[in-house]
Amino acid sequence: MSGAQQSFKILWGMAIDLDKCTGCGACMVACQAENNLAPEKDASKKQRVMNWLKVFELSNGKPFPDHDTAYLPRPCQQCGNPACVPVCPATVTKKDEEGGIISQVYPRCFGCRYCMAACPYKARYFNWYDPEWPQGWDKTLSPDVSVRPRGVVEKCTFCHHRWMKAKDKARVAGNDPYDLPEGAYVTSCTEACPNGAIVFGDLNNPKHLVHKLAHSEYAFRLLERLGMDPQVYYLSRREWVRRLGNHHLENEKTGEFTPLGGGHHG
Amino acid sequence: MGIDRRSIVKFLIGGAVGSMFTPTPWILTDDISIWTQNWPWVPKNIKGVDAYVPTVSKLCPSATAMLVRTVSGRPVRTMGNPEHPLSGGKISPLAATEVQLLYSPSRIKRPLRKASDGGWKEISWTDALALLDEKLGFVKGSATRLAVISGDQTGTVNEVLSGFVASMGSKQFFLMPSEAQTLARAWELMGGAGMPGFETAGSDYVLALGADILESWGASTRTRRAYCEARPHGEVPAATYAYVGPSCTNTAVGADIWVAAKPGSQAAVALGLANLLIKAGATSSAPDFAAFKALAARFEPATVAQLAGVSEANLAMLAEGLQKAKAPVVIPGSEFGQGGSVAAAAAGMALNLLLGAYNQKVGLRAVPEFAPVVEKAMARKDVMANDLAAYMQGLAEDNKARPEILITYEANPVYALPGDVAGTVAKIPFKVAIAQFMDETATMADLVLPSPLGIERYDDVATPAGCGVAIYCLNTPVIDAVNPAANIHGGDVILGLAAKQNANLGFNSFKDVLAAKAKAVGANVADLTAGKAFVSEAVTGAQPSLAAEAIAKSLEAKAPEGAYALAAVNKLGFGTATTAVPPQNLKLVREFELAGTLMYVHLNKATAAKAGVAQGQKVTLKAGDGKAIPALVNISEMVMDGVVMAPCNLGHTAFDEFAKGKGANVARLFTAQVEPGTGLSFWTQTGVAIEKA
Amino acid sequence: MDKALLPEGCPRCSLGKFLIWMAILGVVLAWGGYWMARIFLFGIGETALDNTFGFGLWITFDLAVIALGAGAFFTGLLRYILNIDPLKYIINLAVIIGFICYSGAMIVLALDVGQPLRSWFGFWHANVHSMLVEVMFCITCYLMVLAIEYVPIILENRQLNKIPFLHNLAHNFHLIMPLFAGMGAFLSFFHQGSLGGMYGVLFSRPYAYRPGFFIWPWTFFLFVLSAVASGPVFTMLIATIIEKASGRKLVDFKIKALMGKIAGTMLLVYVPFKIMDTWGWATSVLPEMGLTFGELFHGVIYGQWQLWTEIFICGVIPMIMLNVKSIRENPTWLYTAAILDCIGVSINRYVFTVQSLAAPVMPFDKWEIYIPNQAEWAPTFLVIAYGAVLISLSYRYLPIFPQERALNAAK
Repeated sequence: MSGAQQSFKILWGMAIDLDKCTGCGACMVACQAENNLAPEKDASKKQRVMNWLKVFELSNGKPFPDHDTAYLPRPCQQCGNPACVPVCPATVTKKDEEGGIISQVYPRCFGCRYCMAACPYKARYFNWYDPEWPQGWDKTLSPDVSVRPRGVVEKCTFCHHRWMKAKDKARVAGNDPYDLPEGAYVTSCTEACPNGAIVFGDLNNPKHLVHKLAHSEYAFRLLERLGMDPQVYYLSRREWVRRLGNHHLENEKTGEFTPLGGGHHG
Repeated sequence: MGIDRRSIVKFLIGGAVGSMFTPTPWILTDDISIWTQNWPWVPKNIKGVDAYVPTVSKLCPSATAMLVRTVSGRPVRTMGNPEHPLSGGKISPLAATEVQLLYSPSRIKRPLRKASDGGWKEISWTDALALLDEKLGFVKGSATRLAVISGDQTGTVNEVLSGFVASMGSKQFFLMPSEAQTLARAWELMGGAGMPGFETAGSDYVLALGADILESWGASTRTRRAYCEARPHGEVPAATYAYVGPSCTNTAVGADIWVAAKPGSQAAVALGLANLLIKAGATSSAPDFAAFKALAARFEPATVAQLAGVSEANLAMLAEGLQKAKAPVVIPGSEFGQGGSVAAAAAGMALNLLLGAYNQKVGLRAVPEFAPVVEKAMARKDVMANDLAAYMQGLAEDNKARPEILITYEANPVYALPGDVAGTVAKIPFKVAIAQFMDETATMADLVLPSPLGIERYDDVATPAGCGVAIYCLNTPVIDAVNPAANIHGGDVILGLAAKQNANLGFNSFKDVLAAKAKAVGANVADLTAGKAFVSEAVTGAQPSLAAEAIAKSLEAKAPEGAYALAAVNKLGFGTATTAVPPQNLKLVREFELAGTLMYVHLNKATAAKAGVAQGQKVTLKAGDGKAIPALVNISEMVMDGVVMAPCNLGHTAFDEFAKGKGANVARLFTAQVEPGTGLSFWTQTGVAIEKA
Repeated sequence: MDKALLPEGCPRCSLGKFLIWMAILGVVLAWGGYWMARIFLFGIGETALDNTFGFGLWITFDLAVIALGAGAFFTGLLRYILNIDPLKYIINLAVIIGFICYSGAMIVLALDVGQPLRSWFGFWHANVHSMLVEVMFCITCYLMVLAIEYVPIILENRQLNKIPFLHNLAHNFHLIMPLFAGMGAFLSFFHQGSLGGMYGVLFSRPYAYRPGFFIWPWTFFLFVLSAVASGPVFTMLIATIIEKASGRKLVDFKIKALMGKIAGTMLLVYVPFKIMDTWGWATSVLPEMGLTFGELFHGVIYGQWQLWTEIFICGVIPMIMLNVKSIRENPTWLYTAAILDCIGVSINRYVFTVQSLAAPVMPFDKWEIYIPNQAEWAPTFLVIAYGAVLISLSYRYLPIFPQERALNAAK
C-alpha cells in the first residue's frame, strides 16, 4: 500500500498554451530526431504509429460557422499518481527520481503492455517490430538516447538525458545542479515550438514560469479528475477547451470536481 | 523398491535446489539479459564530441535558421538557432528533419543518365558535364531553345542561373511560382521600390488575407516568433490575429478570429474592407486614390457577401478592428502559397497604405533588394515577370517554341505546376535535373545531376518572401557530403558549363559568387561565416500607387466553374514539391488525412449533404478537361459551405516508399488562367465537381 | 496395434481412426505453429494488436480458459478438502482440463509478450505492487501443481503401472494429493482474483475500474466467483463431448448434475454480486468520474447488449436453471445452462479486456475498433488443438474415468 505519493523537491512540468498551438507538428518531428524514433512507412495506421508526443485535434462539436478547433500536444503526463507504475510487473517504470519524471528501463521491459492498458493518455507505445532506418540514417542517431528493440514499451521521458546534461553543466560551472535556472533544461519539443506554446520548468520553483502558469485561472490538467495528478498543465482562455480536459456530467460546471484518490492496490 | 512420500519430496526439492548451485541457470539468465539488449540488427548509438553548427534551411520555404548538432562530425539533428532572426531558437516541422533527409532513400547519390530502356545508368561527373556541354552547344544563341527553372527562392544561385541563360542568348529563366512572384508583380504594378515586406512584430492587429502566415507563408518561423511575443502564456493577447480564408487552417486555429471566405476571394474582401475604411475616413496620398475609391465603392458589404461569402457583420468587424488598431498590418496571399492573384496581393497591400501602415516599423515595408553580383544576371523584376505556368500552357498548346533543353534546378515542376505538365515536359528532347531527391521531374529527366543538401554546401539566403526586414545569411558546409559523388553545387555546375560555352559569368566558383554577394550586401563576412545574419531595417522608395486600374481590370477574370470551390492547404510538415513528405514527417499525417493510398478531402456536413456523400465515402474530384483525383470524404466543420478542402504535397508518384502513392496530387486539379490587368497566371479559384466513385 | 497400452476393459477406436483424428488436429497445430514461428521471428507486429489494444484476443482467451479451467482447483478443493466423495469420478478429467487450460495460457502468453526471452524478469525484478506479478507467480506455481497432479494419472497407464517403481510413485502421489489440492486452491483463488484485480485496479480506465475491499477491487472477488461458477460445468461439458465423440458413457449423469448444482450454487452467489457491482459502478463510480453509464457503451460491437447478455441470459437464467432440480436433472437443460454459463464468463473476460481499452478516456478521444487477425487466431486454435490432442491421448491411454467400465457394462 503506497497510497502516499513520493514528494520531490523538483517537479519538472509543462504548461502548454492551447490557444497558441497551431498544430504544425514541429514538436513531433523534433521529438523523433531527439529521441531516435524510427520512421514508419505506413503512417495511416494511426494506432500503430509511434509518437512520444502526439498532437490531438479538439473540436467544440458545433457545425460551421460556429465551429472552433484547438490542437493539444500530448507528451507523457509524468503523473504524480501514475496508473502505469504500480501495474508494471518487472519494475521497469518508476517514479522515484528527483524531478518526478517517470522512468522506463528498456532493457528490463519484457513487453506485457499492462502499462499501456493502464495509461488513459495513450502516451505509451509498443515496438511492434524492430526499428528500421533507411540505409545510412542510423548514423544520425543521437548518442544520448538508446535505441529500443522490438517488444518493449517506450514513452516520452521529458528528454531526461537533457536534464542529466544540464546538471553536469551546472556542476562544471560550480552551480547547484538541483537549482537550475529557467531554460537550463528544456525538452526538445519545448525548444522547437515556433509559437512558443510549450513552457517547461520546475513546477515547485517559484522562479520558474511554469510554477505561476500552473496556478493560472486558465490552467487545467487532462483527466485530473481521475486523481492521476499529471505534471503537464494546459492553458486555454476558451471554456470549451478547458471542459474537454475532463469528463463532466451535464449539470457540472467546468473544472468543478474533486479528484478521485486513485489506485489502491499495492 | 522403497519409495515413500519423503523421498519424493526430497527428489523434487533436491533436484530444484541442486541445479541452482550449478552455474548453468545463472549464466544462462545473465546471457539472456545481455543478448536481448544487443541484437546485431538493432543499431547502436555512437558517442562523440558535440558541436552545434549554424546554418539556414535551404529545404524549408520558411528559411528557418538552424543549429546542426554534430557528434564528432556526424550530423545528428537540427534545432533552432537562438541567435538568429529567422529562428529565435525555434524550428519548422520541415527544417527539423533536415539531417535525417541526408539519408532519405530518395537522395540522388551520383550523376545518372537515362538509358535507352528507360532505366538509369550511373555516369561520371566528367561524362555528364561533357554530355551536357555538347547538348548546350546546339542551343547557344537561341532565344527559345534553352529553358531553366529554379526552385530556389532565396539564393544567389538564381543570379548564376539567369546569367547563364542570358549569356546563352535566352531569357527563359523561370522561378517556380510562389508568393514572392505574386508580391513582386503586384508591387511593380503599384510602382513600389525594393521588395514588399510585412512586419508583424509589434503589431496589435494582424489580418491574414488568405495567407497562411502561421504555417507556410513566407518566413513563417520568424512570423510565428512575433505571434508568440504578442501572446504571453495564459494572458490576454497583446495583438489580435484574424484569418480570412475558406478553411480553418493552422493560422486560423492560432488566430482569434476566423472569417470564412471563398477560395481566391481575397481581392473582393480587400476591396470591401477598403470601402468601409474609406467611408470611415481612411485616405491615401497615392496618385490613383480617387480611382481606387471609386473601385472600392463597388464593393459594398452585400456585394462582398455575395462574391466572397463573408457576412456583412464579419466584414464590418474586420474593418473596425483594423481601424481601431494602432499598428495594423494586412497580409494578402494565396491560401496555399502559390498561384495567388496579383490583383489580390495589390488590393491587400493597398489596405496597408490606406491604414497608414507603410514604411513604418509595423505593416507593409519597402525592403531594399541586395545588389546583384553576377553582371549578366537578369534583373529581378524581369525574372519575376516570367510566368512559368503560362509558358507551360503555351508549350502545351504549341503556341510557344519548344525548348531543346530544359534544366531544372532543385525544382519539381512536373509535380507542382497547376494541371498536368508531364506530357509537355516529356516532349522536350533533353531534360536535365539538378536535384537532391528523385522527384517526379528528375524521374523524367535524361540527365540527373545530384545536388548536395543545404547543410553539405556553401549557399546563401537573402530576404525570404514577404519578410519585413532585409536579411542576408551565408551557409557554409556543416559536414562533408554524405554521398561523395553528390558534392558539387548546382551553381558550380552552371559556372563550369558557362565557361566551357564561352559564356563566362565572371566567377570561377560559386563560393566566389557568395563572397562577392556578401561584400555587395555590406555585411561583415566573418560574422556571416560564423552564422550570424545580416539584418537591415532600412526601407526604400516613395509613395506607391494603389494599382486601381490593374485591380479593376482583373475583375474581368473568368469565374470558376464547378459546383464546389476547391481550397488547397499547404502544410510545411508535409514537405514541399521537392522534398515530398519526409519519412519522419509522415507521422504528422492525421487519421482523417490519409488511409493507405487514399487521402481525405474535407467538407462540412451541409456541403456533404448537398453533394450526397458520407464520411469515409470514396469520391472523385473533377475539375474539367478530364482532370480528376480520387479521395475519401472527411466531414469536417473546419471548412466553409460549398468548399472542398484538400492538402497539398501528397500523391507523389516518385520519391520513396514513405512518400510514393500516398494520396493524390491536388495540383492536378488547379486551373490556371492569366489574370487580366496584371498578366500573371493565378489558380486560387478552381471549381470542382464531386462524383461518387 | 496399441491394444496393450489401452486401459483394461475399455475398448477404444482403431488406431487408424485415431491417427486420422490426430492428423486433423495436426493440421491445426501446423497452421498455428506457422504463425507462432512468424511471431517469434518478426515480432508481434504480425498481429492486429496496436497501441490502443495492447491486449486483445489472446488475453481474452487466456482469461477465459483460466476461468473455465477453474474446474480443476474447485473440484479438487471439494473432493479432497471438503470430502465430497462422488467428485472422484470426474476429478481426473478436471485436472487434465486444468492442465491444458493453464499450459495453453502459458503458450499464448509466451507469444503475447514482446520479449519472451525476458519473461522471467517478472519474477526476477518483481514489482510486488503489480497484480500481474501476483498472477504470474500464482499461475506458474499452480501450473506446477497441476503437472504434479497430472503425473499420477499418467502413471496409471496399464504398461507404466506395471513398473513397480512407477506404481509406487503413483501411489505415493495419490497420498499427497490433498496437499496439492490445498495448494492449488490457495494459488488459484489468488490468481483468479488477481486477474480480475488486474482490471479493477485500473483507476484510469472507467470501464474496468472498481473500488473494493482493502487492496482488492471488487473484480478480484467477482473473477474468483465467476470462475468457480463456470469451471465445474465446463469440465462436465468436456466430459459430455468426449462421451458423444466416443459413444461411450463415462461419467454418471448424477455426477454431471452434481457439477451443475455446484456451479449453480456458485452462480447464486456470483450473479447477485455482479448485479450489485454493475449497479454500484453505474450509479457511483462513473458519476464520480464525470461519466454516465451510456458513455461507456458505443455502437453495436461495444453496445449494452453484451452486458445484458452476460448478466441475464448467461447469468441469471443459468443460475435459475442449475438451481432448479427438475431442470438440472434434464440433460438437455443442464447442458444448455452450462453452455450459457460458460459463454457468460467468456463475455465477461472479453469486455473487461477489449471494451476497457476501446473506450476512450480522454474526452476528445474516440472509440477504436479491434478485429483480431490470422496471426492471433491461428495460435489460439493451436492451443485448442493442443488441448484436444492431450485429451484424446489421455482418454485413449489412461483410465481417467473410474466409472467407465461399470457404466458401459450396465448397458
